[in-house]
This record gives sequence, structure tokens and C-alpha cells, in this order.
Amino acid sequence: MLTPLLHRKRKIAQALEESEGAITSAGEALERTKRIYGIRLLVRGLLWISIYALSRGLLELAIVEQWLRVVIALLPVPFFAWWLWTWMKGVSEMDELERRIELEALAVAFPLAVIFLMTLGLLDVAIALNPGDFSPRHLWAMMPLLYYVGLYRAKRRYQ
Amino acid sequence: MKNRLKVLRAERDWSQAALAEQLGVSRQTINAIETEKYDPSLPLALKIGRLFGQCVEKIFVDTDGK
Repeated sequence: MLTPLLHRKRKIAQALEESEGAITSAGEALERTKRIYGIRLLVRGLLWISIYALSRGLLELAIVEQWLRVVIALLPVPFFAWWLWTWMKGVSEMDELERRIELEALAVAFPLAVIFLMTLGLLDVAIALNPGDFSPRHLWAMMPLLYYVGLYRAKRRYQ
Repeated sequence: MKNRLKVLRAERDWSQAALAEQLGVSRQTINAIETEKYDPSLPLALKIGRLFGQCVEKIFVDTDGK
């Protein structure tokens, strides 16, 4: 009678300890991001996404000049480059383990992106996917998610 | 690779954060070294050795070495 109760209590204590650890590491991750980047990465990332949204909106309008449409489509690229430069600069300021975690995250994200796109390609051949749902205009947003999968895995490994 | 970092740190009553600050790395790095999930680079190992006034071989033990 008492043993299952004790077992349950121990499990609850263990779960609480684990969640405390997760909160601490999330707090540390936030602290690390703040230490390395300040708010630069966030601001420049938001700027890039805003310009992307603006470009998407403008391209929906009835602009007929081809050159102007291309210019609008390329508009987010310099902002992305600015954000990327900020990120790369931050990576160079990380310590050796943090850099290894970044590398391992990308080492997972890249093959995942390859298999993801390859599978979609094969599915497209197999059942002709709706190009509206599976065009690059939506798929690119999946790539950061794959990076976060890699980052989560790499961080857990060294916790 | 086994190491005595935790023992040496405890002898001096330093927290992981304090040691991390002295070595210029994150607390997570110290924790990963102490739990033997991560082997430090040679420059960091030498820095640790200098900080504790001991040679690297006395702090880090290569368990693969015969």
C-alpha cells in the first residue's frame, strides 16, 4: 500500500527536479543570448522578417513591371545578411562548448533539411502535392525549425 | 576522460559560475567538463591547470591510455 505511494512521491520529486533543471537551462540559454548578442539579434531578425512580410505584401499587389517585382523579391536579402553577420559575430564570441553545440545543431539540421526536401520531392512525384501548399514560399520557414531540433538535441547532450 | 575538476573546485569553495568566470567560459561548459560529457580543448585544459597550479595530467586522466 505504502510502496506505490512512495514510488509516486519519488517520481513527482524527480519530475520537479527535472523541470527545475529545464527552467535553469532555459534561463541560462536566455542569459547567454543576452550576453552575446544583447538585443541586436532579435531586432535585426525582426527587421528582416518585417521586410520579408512587406515584400510578400507588395508582391501580392498588381505591380506589372518585372524588374520592380524582382527588386521587391530581393529586398529582404541585405537585411538577412545583416542578421546573419550579427549571428556569425556572436558565434565567434562563444566559448568552445557553445560553438560545438552550434556546430552539432547545424550538423543535424542540414541532413534533416536534405531528407525533408528529398521526401517532399518523392511525394510530389508519387501523388503530385499541391504546389500552393508545398512551394518554397512556405517551405523555407521549416528550416529554422530543423535547426532548433538540432540545437535542442545538442544542448541536451552536454547538460 | 576522467578529471578532478569538481574536487579541485570544491577544495577552493568556488561555485561553477565563479570558476567559469575566471576561465572565461560558460557555467554550462564547466558543468559538462565536471560530468565528463565534454573534454576541454588543450588551451582550456592548460588554463585550468594554470589556475589550479597543477599540471594538466594531474587534473585530467586519459582513461583510454594504457
